[in-house]
Amino acid sequence: MIIKIAHLYYDLMNLYGESGNPQALIRHLENKGLKTELHFLTVNDDIDFNKYDIFYMGMGSLENQKIVLDDIKKYKDNIKKAINANKLFIATGSSMELFGKFIKDKDDIIEALNIFDYETEVIDFKIVGEQHFKTKIIDYDVIGFQNRTSIITKNKNHLFKVVEGTGSSINDNYEGFVYKNFYATYLTGPLLIRNPHLTDKLLNLYLDSMKIKYKKTKNDLIDYKAYDEYLKNFIEKEPK
Amino acid sequence: MRKTILIILSKLSIIVLKFFRKNATVFPGKIAYDLDHHILDKIKYPKIVIGVTGSAGKGSTTSLIAHILTKSGKSVAYNKFGSNGIYGITTLVINNCTLTGKFKKDILLVEIDERHLKLAFNKKILTHLIVTNITRDQPSRSGNPDFIFKEITDAISDKTKLILNADDPHVMKMTLKFKNYVTYGLEKTIYDYTIPSNLGIDNAYCPKCHNKLIYTYYHYGHIGIYKCKNCDFTRGKVKYKATDLDLNKQEFKINRKKYYLNKDIMYAAYYTLAAVALAKELKISPKIIDEAVNKDFIKPKRGEVYNIEKRTLTMLESKNENSLSYFQSLKYISLKKELKTIVVGFENVSRRYKYNDLSWLYDVSFKLLNDESIDKILCIGRFKYDVATCLSYANIDKNKIIMVDDIDNLIDIIKTKTKGNIYTMVCFDMSDKIKSLIKEAKNDN
Repeated sequence: MIIKIAHLYYDLMNLYGESGNPQALIRHLENKGLKTELHFLTVNDDIDFNKYDIFYMGMGSLENQKIVLDDIKKYKDNIKKAINANKLFIATGSSMELFGKFIKDKDDIIEALNIFDYETEVIDFKIVGEQHFKTKIIDYDVIGFQNRTSIITKNKNHLFKVVEGTGSSINDNYEGFVYKNFYATYLTGPLLIRNPHLTDKLLNLYLDSMKIKYKKTKNDLIDYKAYDEYLKNFIEKEPK
Repeated sequence: MRKTILIILSKLSIIVLKFFRKNATVFPGKIAYDLDHHILDKIKYPKIVIGVTGSAGKGSTTSLIAHILTKSGKSVAYNKFGSNGIYGITTLVINNCTLTGKFKKDILLVEIDERHLKLAFNKKILTHLIVTNITRDQPSRSGNPDFIFKEITDAISDKTKLILNADDPHVMKMTLKFKNYVTYGLEKTIYDYTIPSNLGIDNAYCPKCHNKLIYTYYHYGHIGIYKCKNCDFTRGKVKYKATDLDLNKQEFKINRKKYYLNKDIMYAAYYTLAAVALAKELKISPKIIDEAVNKDFIKPKRGEVYNIEKRTLTMLESKNENSLSYFQSLKYISLKKELKTIVVGFENVSRRYKYNDLSWLYDVSFKLLNDESIDKILCIGRFKYDVATCLSYANIDKNKIIMVDDIDNLIDIIKTKTKGNIYTMVCFDMSDKIKSLIKEAKNDN
């Protein structure tokens, strides 16, 4: 079987090294003995959500989010169907905001896909810095970076607990969103390269839910070594 | 009176700092600026005040302009040491004015950080502004190109003559807002390509109608020859047109006249082109421009060459947090066909802040190192495993990668485990370290 990955709006939602994320999906899937295909899709591409198994979207500027919203809204029902059919969606950075109710800018309210209930508000300062999170999904720490000018409120299904860093909103202790195999987070990094344990687990959860057989893997990719080194240099070194 | 006191205070601190051999390019301006944020509005400026801003190339462009203007007999004050933030610029201005605030030189020329433009000058002061490019740069501080575009355009008006790099659509977007501009650009070169080196990011959408721009050629990144197929937004014809770029001969032509490049790398063409365009706008005589660029040329700021035994080591400094700076080094290396060894890595991401944002590293086209002429790639610094991970995603043979655990062993490893000439593409902290290791190795011999 070939796992088809759709990199959605690859040329608009691509800030901060996000093109690394679908590459990490391919690496882990191939490591599990599965064949993959990566498809780059953008505005005016007539996207067939039945055709793909995994969907990834990255971070983009507000200007680019507006261009994407103008295009993606026509797929709303198909996206909902795909999510409910347990297909894997991973949205990193500000792409998470597109799946919520709206993005409230200084002078405007931009309607989003309204698939989930959370709301976004653009703020007049930047949230920037290293992030250190925990999650119920794996026993390993999650690392990454945030660089954003918006907050998310009314988010009930959190993905991460904040150890160091910023939650969905300023004083939140929780970040990210999860529903079935839909995962979203403000973490960039690229998240899926810098957190190989998480990537592996998200794929296993997806493959199990779809009853797709795969090979068990060892943690012998260099990605794991880079993760361990970062923890050694910057997390374990810090006084608690 | 207050203005004079602030000027005296700053000038005194310059004297004191210089006496103690401390850096006097930032702190004196900090005193004056922190006490009065409008101190720079109170200066009587010369007739010509030139700004040079953009994500990359500001320093080299400014140095070359200063060289040409000085050759023309003008007295020029400029930030030679690159302190391009508000404090550095305040220091520069105060250091060059009388106690009553009258500027003493014929021309003020400032390399200026994009985000500090509006802090330094009100909209009436700059007579000319060069915008070199607007690219992904220092994301922790600068966010994204849309944000930088706004920072620059909020700081200027049509009173300033803009000299714009038309090859960058993010810069050309300024022509939708301002009318007092001229453009410069590089026509098709033999180094161009038609398929983007990074599929996701080497592109732009039309700022007018939001359709994807069509590129005929890419020079590097999203810099190239483009147009919108849906509306009239285009790079178009430029006033200062560069052609016949030959990096081997280190030359190109601007409006059919041949000019020398002081470095065999594409960004040298851009800073030479921008400097010549500005000099022409200032009506500097062609003979003087010709002499300054072609005969009495200045040394490039980067690219020093050393020797390790009989092998050359070329230091290509790659600016962290700027994937296109890395791209230029990678492209330079890929054009050198001899057997070679590469050194890449960094100890700190930035010297401005302590963030460990590594995202930009994954925008770097490391696949250009996937070449048979490369013997080994040495990964150095605290983030060497992140760099090695990037190299593995670029499908580089893992047997070619050497992890240097102790930087003090670098020269020994180069001597014993690698072949060919050496190219380092490292950032500020590691280039200083490597220079000192080369010096130590020479002393040991």
